Amino acid sequence: MNGGIVLQETVVKFDHITMKFPGVLANDDICLDIKKGEIFALVGENGAGKSTLMNVLYGIYEPTGGTVYVKGKKVTSFSPRNAIDMGIGMVHQHFMLVPSFTVAQNIVLSQEPRKIGVLFDSQKAEAAVRNLSNEFGLKVDPSAVVRELSVGLQQRVEILKALYRGSDILILDEPTAILTPQETDELFAMLKKIVREKGMTVIIITHKLYEVMAISDRVGVMRQGRLMGVEETKNVNERILASMMVGREVIHNPFTRTYQPGKVAISVKDLVVNDNRGLKAVKGVSFEVRGGEVLGIAAIEGNGQSELLEAITGLRKIVSGDVMIMDNSIKGKTPGEIRRMGLAHIPEDRIATGVSSQADIADNLLVGKHKSQEFTRFGFHMRKSAVTKYAQDIFKRYDIRAAGINTRVGILSGGNMQKVVIAREFSFETPVLIISQPTRGLDIGAIEFIHSHIMEKRNKGCAILLCSADLDEVLRLSDRIITIYEGKITGEFMADEITREQIGYYMTGDRSREDVNDAV
Amino acid sequence: MLSEKKGKTQKTKIIDWSYLFSLFLSIVLALLVGALIMAATGHNPGKAYLALAQGATGCSSIGEFFTSVFTKRQFGNTLEYTMVLTLTGLACVLGARVGIFNVGGEGQLYLGAICSAQVGVILSGMSPWLVIPCAVLVAMAVGGFYAWIPGVLKVKLKVNEVITTIMLNSVAIYFCSFLSNGPWQTTESTRRGGTQTLAGELRFPRLIQGSSLSTAIIGSAVVALLVWYVLSKTTTGYEMKLIGQNSRFSFFSGLKVDTITIWAMVVSGAICGLVGMFEVYGVKGSYQDGISNDFYFDGLLVAMIMRYNPVGIMLMSIFFAFLKVGATGMELIAGVPGELYRIIQAIVIFFMAAEKGISGLVKANVEKSRAKREAKQRLKEETV
Repeated sequence: MNGGIVLQETVVKFDHITMKFPGVLANDDICLDIKKGEIFALVGENGAGKSTLMNVLYGIYEPTGGTVYVKGKKVTSFSPRNAIDMGIGMVHQHFMLVPSFTVAQNIVLSQEPRKIGVLFDSQKAEAAVRNLSNEFGLKVDPSAVVRELSVGLQQRVEILKALYRGSDILILDEPTAILTPQETDELFAMLKKIVREKGMTVIIITHKLYEVMAISDRVGVMRQGRLMGVEETKNVNERILASMMVGREVIHNPFTRTYQPGKVAISVKDLVVNDNRGLKAVKGVSFEVRGGEVLGIAAIEGNGQSELLEAITGLRKIVSGDVMIMDNSIKGKTPGEIRRMGLAHIPEDRIATGVSSQADIADNLLVGKHKSQEFTRFGFHMRKSAVTKYAQDIFKRYDIRAAGINTRVGILSGGNMQKVVIAREFSFETPVLIISQPTRGLDIGAIEFIHSHIMEKRNKGCAILLCSADLDEVLRLSDRIITIYEGKITGEFMADEITREQIGYYMTGDRSREDVNDAV
Repeated sequence: MLSEKKGKTQKTKIIDWSYLFSLFLSIVLALLVGALIMAATGHNPGKAYLALAQGATGCSSIGEFFTSVFTKRQFGNTLEYTMVLTLTGLACVLGARVGIFNVGGEGQLYLGAICSAQVGVILSGMSPWLVIPCAVLVAMAVGGFYAWIPGVLKVKLKVNEVITTIMLNSVAIYFCSFLSNGPWQTTESTRRGGTQTLAGELRFPRLIQGSSLSTAIIGSAVVALLVWYVLSKTTTGYEMKLIGQNSRFSFFSGLKVDTITIWAMVVSGAICGLVGMFEVYGVKGSYQDGISNDFYFDGLLVAMIMRYNPVGIMLMSIFFAFLKVGATGMELIAGVPGELYRIIQAIVIFFMAAEKGISGLVKANVEKSRAKREAKQRLKEETV
């Protein structure tokens, strides 16, 4: 589809689009043409304005300046309804599906086939979905309940939903964030197929540069609300894209390291933990982490790793088994008591658990130390000046970008918010660190900064348990890796002896393909 | 340009001027609507508001205000009611800070009132230096205990505290009514219902003769200062704030979320109990049914309007007390029905609730004129 064929017809034209939010210029004078039948990748750091631009196209935002043309027609009223009518479909990062409905019910929702005008015709709906699924080669079971499908299949349902509504322009917002490498490959193959065979146009928003290289015909790079450039993918490489994104060359070099593990600091034995529904999420897990090493957990979301970390840090009850932190059992202890055993924790959900977004930076940095002599007089009176001095020092040391330490944390970008969490937790100087999703949704600059701080802690002798949805991150930081599938450990490896693909199979519990991979 | 703009919005203001302005605007609007209603019902609004001021201060001229306001009965009443609103408002803040909404202050106040009154009856004849501290302690303990119940239910069993506290109000008020018309009823022949009148030496000395202002205001000031100090200057206040903002984060950070939440509720109830005790020992001289005329609910409104800001509550309490006490003057002097006070109060709250809309309007206008100025500036530069 690329190469020799000259792509002519423009299906979407952004003409000097400007999108202004109070205090933020999210899109600054963007001119961009999307051609019919191409896969266009839109990349950029967080907050670069990619999602905003696509939300304008999908009618969620009305731009404050400029015009959008779809198939040559000027868009006059901005609403998703209108966008759908013009053939635009969008698959959001968070799926918009009804979990208790079947696949067919979800797909036909809002355009249901009816019997006698009012009754839902489920047979017709399932037939329609079956036809559609055959036509595009997207296999799904129309009568399956969505809740029971894997994430990859749910995404497929989302795509079918857009196709059912007659979309020929498909927007995918970070579609691979939650997929395994295998599922990603399947998705890409599928996208290429529908573009080639059906003349669809696909716009894909992503962070990951190797994906851009793998799938797109053209790529647009955004930075701070501006479109920095549009290139034919074959004319660029990851390094060029990275430098366009951040304005400087950034590549993740591997860390040089010597592996000298010390004493056992975290010891998990036959641990069983329930999830929120009371079902077993962690099913008898045992492992140890020693000082001076990073143990990485590789698992796809929802396989019990979140519950595991919550149990270790005291946020969730232990059903059976035990966890020892520095030789103390944490059974029945509160997070505060476990912290005093020598543990600090960077939680996976930084907004809900990691910070108080209404409080300012200083307050967020202080918590946990606020009763120490340094900051109090008589044990209860807070010494404002000492707090300010301390916060300002940390603020500078961790390069937190904000107006000052009295800025509300809620208005910080993801990267700066995470820096606040990391600054606070690392400053406890504990021998044990539990780190979950340290760089989720962050840009390259922030990732590099956080990674080097984690490695610094490791080299100082910390025992670090790391869990991340980003496989590259796990591979880059860990000394050892365990894979978890459905609450059980499926494999344990030295990080330098395993590849992404092999881990992928263990993460999905599919060990039968191990041999095939070894051959590769 | 982008970073410059971000810097501007990221600054947190110490005093939220736009909020204060829209607050002021909504008060003015409320008074205007009140004036319209008065005019429509055939009263002279100007005269009525003057009468209101006269009713609240007891002064008929500005000169008199400066020379003798502190001797006026009406002014004493205004101060006394300010004190009640401040304390009940702060009691509400204590709960709100940790994210628990104490609507049961009325019940806590009643129980504090009747129990402290009975302490005075049982210990009558003993030195006030013994009786008063006992009464204070009992009032606070009873009020605190009565708030502890919904607090524990909320923390341990996740029972909605709004429902429990509201229901407990009725339980307390009717229980007090039972006590004061039954076992604890006075034997005095001049009164029916209520507890025995306290001995004169037990009652707080009046600061202004004929008014309800007593030395209780000193106690109130101390309590108010303490609450403000704890909330804004101590580690406890800091922890309470974090818990109220994000309790999961606080638990994660190692704070004793449950304990602090329950204690905040207990102290809130204790302050309500104390207000009841002040009412008995400072104003009425005995417990009587209807001893609180929705004191706590008025305080709660003040607290909500001032967004649980302690200093703001103290100031707003003056305004509300002024309206409430002045209403009597308005009725007597200008012949405007005192119920109008209720209407104006309701309208003020209404406009407060719409404050977001009003401040949004203000901001939009400011933004607009700024843009216009900038455009003019640019035009000038270009022509030059």
